[in-house]
Amino acid sequence: MKFINKKTIEIDRELSELDIFTIDFIKILEKYTKYVLVSGYVSILLGRARISEDVDVIIQKIDFSTFQALYKELKKNGFYCLNAKKDSSIYKYLLDNLRVRFAKKDKTIPNIELKWVKHKFDEISLENNIEVKLSKEKLKISNLELQIAFKEEVLKSPKDLDDAMHIKNVAKGYLDNKLIQKYREMLHGFY
Amino acid sequence: MGFIEENEKDRKSFVHKWAEYVRTHSDKDWSRQQNVIINSALKSANMTREQFFKMKGETNYEKY
Repeated sequence: MKFINKKTIEIDRELSELDIFTIDFIKILEKYTKYVLVSGYVSILLGRARISEDVDVIIQKIDFSTFQALYKELKKNGFYCLNAKKDSSIYKYLLDNLRVRFAKKDKTIPNIELKWVKHKFDEISLENNIEVKLSKEKLKISNLELQIAFKEEVLKSPKDLDDAMHIKNVAKGYLDNKLIQKYREMLHGFY
Repeated sequence: MGFIEENEKDRKSFVHKWAEYVRTHSDKDWSRQQNVIINSALKSANMTREQFFKMKGETNYEKY
């Protein structure tokens, strides 16, 4: 794993079934909107030895016609929405700031947990993303300092604290510890 | 030390040791081992929509 600069990480990893599933979805999604991968999958991509049944993705808000086109292409490529069948019903969930999930046909796990940008921390994740270069693929993940702060300050479950610890260990020397502390203070006041 | 504390200590120790392994071995090496865990777990994952949403505590889905 090479931490090239603040915007780029290179990982010459063998892809897991979870990586391939995520890449398949993102290749379609990125044609329609800006996205960023957050939470558990970020630590897994960086080597954490655990599984996740879902992959969290934050997207920029899109209008209904764009969503219709996205959903049509997802269906054409074997994805379905777990929450509802009709595009208008799924879009309504997004409008209500609820997450919606997509999996491959006849499966529920793994799934993509999609939500659109809701508050300033989602904005920071979306704008200050890091590009992870895999051998032939690319994925955008959230700023690592914010991921660590969120897991330590807001989520706090043993799994999340272990995720934060893993990222801190593998990215030693790359992370801005003052920024982690700054995000922790911001999150403490926000939640 | 009680069972819970001991379990937590062991878990944290494993997280540290594995991260050190990731840092000091090639990406191909650690990812090959990580994929055994991920791929086998996904292979055995089998849940209906209703079971999945119940597990997640989410109610924003249509019954069909």
